[in-house]
Amino acid sequence: MITLVRNEIYKMILRKKVILIIILLILFVGLFSYGENYIYNQRINAFLQESNQSNYSWENIANQRLERLKENLESAYIPERGIKSIEIQIEQLEYFIDNNINPITPSVARFNVEFVKQSITFFLPLLIIIIGADLISGEFSEKTIKILLTRAVPRWKILMSKLIALLIMTTLIVLLMAIISTSISRVFINRLGFDEPVITGFKLVNGELSTATVIQITSLRYMLLNYSLAWYVALVMSAITFMISVLVKSMGSAIGIIMASLIGGQFLQFFLSDWGLVKYFYVTNLDLTKYLTGSYQQVEGMNLVFSVLVLMTWAIISILISFLVFSKKDVLV
Amino acid sequence: MTQRILQVKDLTKIINKREIIKNINLEISKGEIYGFLGPNGAGKSTTLRMVVGLSKPTTGDITISGYSITNNYVKAMANVGCIIEEPALYEYMTGLKNLKILGAMSKNVSEKDIREAVELVGMSHRINDLVKTYSMGMKQRIGLAQALIHHPKLLILDEPTNGLDPQGIYKFRQIIKTLVKEKGISVLLSSHLISEIQLMCDKVAIINNGQIIKTAKVEDLLFSNQIYWTIDYPKKGKRILESKFDIEANIIDNQLVAKLPEHLIETVNTFFINKGIKIKYVSIKKKTLEDLFLELTAYKAIE
Repeated sequence: MITLVRNEIYKMILRKKVILIIILLILFVGLFSYGENYIYNQRINAFLQESNQSNYSWENIANQRLERLKENLESAYIPERGIKSIEIQIEQLEYFIDNNINPITPSVARFNVEFVKQSITFFLPLLIIIIGADLISGEFSEKTIKILLTRAVPRWKILMSKLIALLIMTTLIVLLMAIISTSISRVFINRLGFDEPVITGFKLVNGELSTATVIQITSLRYMLLNYSLAWYVALVMSAITFMISVLVKSMGSAIGIIMASLIGGQFLQFFLSDWGLVKYFYVTNLDLTKYLTGSYQQVEGMNLVFSVLVLMTWAIISILISFLVFSKKDVLV
Repeated sequence: MTQRILQVKDLTKIINKREIIKNINLEISKGEIYGFLGPNGAGKSTTLRMVVGLSKPTTGDITISGYSITNNYVKAMANVGCIIEEPALYEYMTGLKNLKILGAMSKNVSEKDIREAVELVGMSHRINDLVKTYSMGMKQRIGLAQALIHHPKLLILDEPTNGLDPQGIYKFRQIIKTLVKEKGISVLLSSHLISEIQLMCDKVAIINNGQIIKTAKVEDLLFSNQIYWTIDYPKKGKRILESKFDIEANIIDNQLVAKLPEHLIETVNTFFINKGIKIKYVSIKKKTLEDLFLELTAYKAIE
């Protein structure tokens, strides 16, 4: 079995997908971290110009932002949902200021968290698709499945080795993401900020922000917490990608199907958030990190445990279907 | 005692409610080269795919070297090496790496086994190049090496010479023949070319519309050539053939036509000349697959 897994990993590495993924990560992280720093500098300049002061502190900027948000709230053009979301932001910001926690100055740790949050619903799944979509369908389209399945190895073992290899590679991708976003963002952002305090554990109770369960941890732990959620999501995505790769015969349609479900899922979430079934769709549950910050939710009745369970169910069913279909499949290529 | 390497029993395959393979039975002994002859779409490939485990029989069973592929898949497959249609390899690896990866999937395949297989197919000089740089013939040879690294008792070749040039076909044939002679392995090979079966096989099964319509020794079935004599007294010739040689003859278009082994032609010719019959020319009409089918199906209709 170990030999089989090693074979599969070797194939994945030789296909140069990992290099593509590293390049994508470097590009995105570089762009985002540069952008974040740029915006921060602009904000400082704007603050200095407005207040005619020669230096600044994060508290001033936070207060300024708080005022902006409150102004926004008065505006008549913001829909009800937007108002709720802004109210939650205001409450959080007030909590930060009261407890002397800096949410303004960019740091490598905060960048990491932000990057995970932004990529967990789309960019991270995309990376998994790049590496997983042709895992089985590729063997079919290149017809190498014929030499793979005519060995003295039962089919389930071959599929199992591919699954294990994919899960290992997925873990590796999440690690790479952490390493690259830490090292590249360090180029643009001066502060590491791993030991700064962070607040997490906000809860939404009946749409209101509750600070009763809030705890204070270091940025490093918070970052690791975010990455472990991302890792979980990545594993679930690889299980789903794996199933699609078994079900279809070409890599193109595998990628198409998963991308369509990801994009379609986001649409569902926005437009049909009142429909009860939507919350059982895997895409709706991908953003696990939002439960850490207590930001506004589109669909009601969801929480961290619920999403984790829904994703787990999707993963298990996908793997079951993969094995059932693959063991019965006639190879006619 | 002859050892039975492959036994196919009452094999049926239904795809989309259509019976593609109808009740096929086959037996191959040790050291035998068995041909599977039929036109495209007759069910050759489908049958072979079931033998190598790529596709599951609807009913019936396949036993390889005594192990059933339904109950004892791993042991059965350990005795089979195959090339199904054009050879598929991982193009982005070297030939050697392909073999190593596939060898690692079987038990007890050593570096030495791989090296021997590579030497046997004559690919030592290019083995460290990427497969995508290989020609069709080279891929086919690596494909063959891939089928041999684990020392199978049965080699399955589906249309092995498709896409090869004449020289490649010749080399391929030589390798297979050497293998059978030296290692005593059995070969099941499918083809739609009668000449290929004639040149390589001991026995042949003719398949059409998913059914085996005839199983016979190759010499009995395919070497029954028609000899055409263009002579001045065809009727006299016919009498001579029937009385002296006990060979049934006919006269078609003023030509004398008879079935006889090629080595007898000379004797007959000498006899004709001695009897004062002038021979303009003699020709051998080899049987084509088409003729064979016509003959076999007509035979069946009469039955």
